[in-house]
Amino acid sequence: MNINTDTILEVKQLTKSVKLENKQLTILKPIDLVVNAGETLAIVGSSGSGKTTLLSLLAGLDLPSAGEVYLKQQALHQLDEEQRSQVRAEHVGFIFQQFLLINSLTALENIMLPAELAHKSNAKELALTLLNDVGLAERGDHFPNQLSGGEQQRVAIARAFITQPDILFADEPTGNLDSNTGQHIANLLFNLNQQYGTTLVLVTHDQKLAQRCQKQIEMADGHLIAQQNNLPLPSPLNSKLNSDLNSSTDLLQEQALFKSEPQPRVIK
Amino acid sequence: MGLLSNLVVKQSLRLFKHETRQGELTIVFFAIVLAVATVFSLSGFSSQIKVALVEQSSRFIAADRVLQSSRPINENVLLKSQQLNLQYAKQIIMSSMVFSDNTHMLLASLTATSDLYPLKGQLLVSTTQKDYLAGKAQAVHEPTSGSIWVEASLLTKLKLVLGDKIEIGNSLFIIAGVIKQRPDASLNLFSLGPEIILNIADIDKTALIQAGSRVKYKYLFSGEHQNIEKFSNWIKPQINDTQRWYGIKSQQNALAKTLNKAEKYLSLASLLGVILAAVAISVAARRYSQRHQSSVAVFKAMGASKSYVTQLYIIHWSLLSFVSIIVGLCFGYLIQYAGLTVMAEYLPINNSFKWYYPLFTAVTTGLICVIAFAIAPLYELINTSPLVVVRSRVNTPTQFLNYKHLPAVLALFSLLWLFSGDWLLSLVLLAAGAFIVVVLLLLALQLVKLSRTMGSGAGQAWQLALANLKRRSTENSIQLVSFTLAINLLLLLVVVRSDLLNDWQKQLPDNSANKFLINISQPQLAKVQQFVDHNHLQASALFPVVPGRLTAINNEKIVASQMVTKNEFGSKKVKNKTTKPRIGLGRELNLTWLDKLPKKNKVFAGKWWTASDNTAQVSIEESIAKRLDIHLGDKLSFSLGSDVFQVKVTSIRKVNWQSMQPNFYMIFNRKVLANYPVTYISSLYIPPEKENLFAQFLAQYPTITMLDVDAMIKQLSNIIKQVSLAIAFILVIVVLAGCLVLVAQVQATMAERQRELAILRTLGANGRLLRNSVLYEFIALGVIAGTLASFVMEIIVYFLQTRLFNMTASFHFDFWVIAIVSGGLFVGLLGLLSCWRLLTKTALHRYAV
Repeated sequence: MNINTDTILEVKQLTKSVKLENKQLTILKPIDLVVNAGETLAIVGSSGSGKTTLLSLLAGLDLPSAGEVYLKQQALHQLDEEQRSQVRAEHVGFIFQQFLLINSLTALENIMLPAELAHKSNAKELALTLLNDVGLAERGDHFPNQLSGGEQQRVAIARAFITQPDILFADEPTGNLDSNTGQHIANLLFNLNQQYGTTLVLVTHDQKLAQRCQKQIEMADGHLIAQQNNLPLPSPLNSKLNSDLNSSTDLLQEQALFKSEPQPRVIK
Repeated sequence: MGLLSNLVVKQSLRLFKHETRQGELTIVFFAIVLAVATVFSLSGFSSQIKVALVEQSSRFIAADRVLQSSRPINENVLLKSQQLNLQYAKQIIMSSMVFSDNTHMLLASLTATSDLYPLKGQLLVSTTQKDYLAGKAQAVHEPTSGSIWVEASLLTKLKLVLGDKIEIGNSLFIIAGVIKQRPDASLNLFSLGPEIILNIADIDKTALIQAGSRVKYKYLFSGEHQNIEKFSNWIKPQINDTQRWYGIKSQQNALAKTLNKAEKYLSLASLLGVILAAVAISVAARRYSQRHQSSVAVFKAMGASKSYVTQLYIIHWSLLSFVSIIVGLCFGYLIQYAGLTVMAEYLPINNSFKWYYPLFTAVTTGLICVIAFAIAPLYELINTSPLVVVRSRVNTPTQFLNYKHLPAVLALFSLLWLFSGDWLLSLVLLAAGAFIVVVLLLLALQLVKLSRTMGSGAGQAWQLALANLKRRSTENSIQLVSFTLAINLLLLLVVVRSDLLNDWQKQLPDNSANKFLINISQPQLAKVQQFVDHNHLQASALFPVVPGRLTAINNEKIVASQMVTKNEFGSKKVKNKTTKPRIGLGRELNLTWLDKLPKKNKVFAGKWWTASDNTAQVSIEESIAKRLDIHLGDKLSFSLGSDVFQVKVTSIRKVNWQSMQPNFYMIFNRKVLANYPVTYISSLYIPPEKENLFAQFLAQYPTITMLDVDAMIKQLSNIIKQVSLAIAFILVIVVLAGCLVLVAQVQATMAERQRELAILRTLGANGRLLRNSVLYEFIALGVIAGTLASFVMEIIVYFLQTRLFNMTASFHFDFWVIAIVSGGLFVGLLGLLSCWRLLTKTALHRYAV
């Protein structure tokens, strides 16, 4: 295994157990994993298999019971909550199944948030560009409850990319969307990912979505039971070239599709 | 750091602006606004009302405070009063025979008065014969030197007219006016003869004051409330055994009692209002914290540090508190202004509103509430785990009590202390409150669990409702306790209010006696009885009266009354028995004999005699028995003229002194007094239309003295009306606070409900079923809360009645019904209305999919 700067995430003998009514329950059995920079990795498995737990440990949202997690060479398992926050602010982006936009902020302000937290002075310009990229240029001042599910997730995607994170964690990003919208969202996610050259760790039980990742691991009952490569690893150069070649046309197509989407229901 | 701070402020402002616009902060906002407005308006309003009521009532003593003494007082007292800018008037009171010529004379009671009298209220005098006959009078102060004002009965008895002269002591005086109304008219039925008011400068000319004369000196003071209080505090320690210092509230009369109870009620209402508002804030803060949990988790997942989140929410909460407190102050000012404007029609409201004390109290209360009641929820909020972003709910068990609630408990104590001014009472209330909450919580938990089994056979919506109750048993128990507390506190105020009003009403029932007839001789007895019967008047029995003196208790001679004194609170100090001789009353008593126990009298020790009983017995009134240390079986000696006799105490009575009928300290049986010459007294109600007839009747019997208490009764009932109005006004504010607690509590469970309703929708539940299940769930909660509240209310009211208001305890089953029915209906409707948005929202989702 090649431990060098290409390795963005490394996990050794990672275990998580919780106490449930005086009983120790191990929800993650020892796991080893390496993710290289620029890679796209899908974590698949049935409900309760431990995917989300693994994701929360990889992203430093939670601490393991045993084992080690290194993100950008930083030992997350040794850091406290504050230090992990710092790591997340610098290197990590998120996309959630429930979108998790801040209800009291507009779409634009939601996108700006991580950039502001990372002290980027041009947060607004970056956000406006991304808002345009995800096809919501006209809706920057709308609040989340004025947007449809698909639109909310597009805002969440823009928010995830604004800090140009080194690694992006997506937890069932299409799980709350109908298949058609889910498809569009997935396209957008992969296109932007390619465009920014971000490492993507995707938790899903959608096989089609998982197939679009270069690497796939399968979990069952807290174990990592299978690992497969879907495609040969593209070199960073290839990836950049591909994105340059594809991004403009793809995005145009996406935007055309988004425009045909029905207007959101405004819920009072 | 500078950049971060700017960002935090910017973010906070942004959050605040958007949340305000979207109505997310409404409940917290209203809770704080209401707490501040309640305190501001109530403390402003009730203190103003208290001052105005006392001001109004002080007319009955013609001053704010009176110092009564058997000797002239030290000059430095008057100097001190001048330093404090107090007004004062001096009076010398005594009785003396007055002569119209050599043959006509009469015992009269003289009041020599200085200028400025009366300091409060009006002395109305007719100064011309024409005015007198026309019943007109003007407000005056003291008569000029050489002239006097007299009571009308003096003119009739001595056959004089205005302008005639009479001799008092060594001097001649011109009758310059007839007294129509005296603010501090004595209600003593047996005062010695008609009143005469003369100028204090003339008292020496009469040469009536000599060594050994029985003279009473009265010094009347009035001025600014604070100055009067200062003066009062200064003078109280100097009051000796021959002096008495009193204000209207320290009088042992119906008015004083009414005022004292009203004041206590107003304080109690303010206190409960604040507690309700505080509960509303604490519930709303909890909901605020729950609602922002996912936002905090997102912030943290995005890399925001804990200190950033802390700053963000501290600024956000401070902004919210600041705006709410300011709005609350504005509202509070408007409410108390409106209230005082309404009351100004009935009461002499002081225009110079002292806003600083209410302002200080309101801002302090507001700050205590927003800090102390929000610390625990905000602490939890700031410590939200970022894991919430991937798990919708991270297990944080609800703990009923832990160290985080300490600030809230301390705050509650501070509020209680701030409003009651009594730390022991506050501590007891807090402990009792905590006990009640814990008991209620346990009870609620059981009831909620029980409801599931009870509901298993009921209809579908009921089943769903009861299942809901069970599923959220912890949440619901907390909710139930809040409902119960809110209903209980409201119920408490309503019940105590109705009891107080009843109590006052009982003091002055419609057609209560407004005239007293005194000095009815044996031959006139039948005529009076005939007049009463013929005109269908309501009258008390005719009581025989004979004056007599208590001379010894168990053969132990007693000394004069000046050993007995009252302090400002009306309690009596009795000199130590072992070092001093037995003390008596030092004055003649009006003795009566009766076969039957009079109305409004209750024997509480010993036994009332039978008419045929042949041993000499006396029944003694409770307070005087206590004061003179007399017990059942004691032998009392009395002197009547030249006769001396001894009787045994066979019963002790409780007397309602507020009843408008002649009352007696000593009642004998027939055997003792039947053979003495007596006069009779009676009280009766003369309706306005029979006033003339009554006057004509009395004109035939000039020796009968009539005491008119109509004006006094009207004033008293007027004051009771004003107090009732003030209380109703305050009740409205407190009811609003109570409603807010209910709304806040319903809102607090909204997120959970939203999730559940969506699930039930998905499972195919139709709108009606969902609506009904929500309605039934809240009705069930309301009914349970109403029942528990009634139960707790009954216990608390018992203590309030017996300990605070000195009333007899009573049960209030009618209010149980009201509490349970209105609790169910109100909470049910409130719940349904609050969930309406959710119910229709889920419907929209369903139809849109």
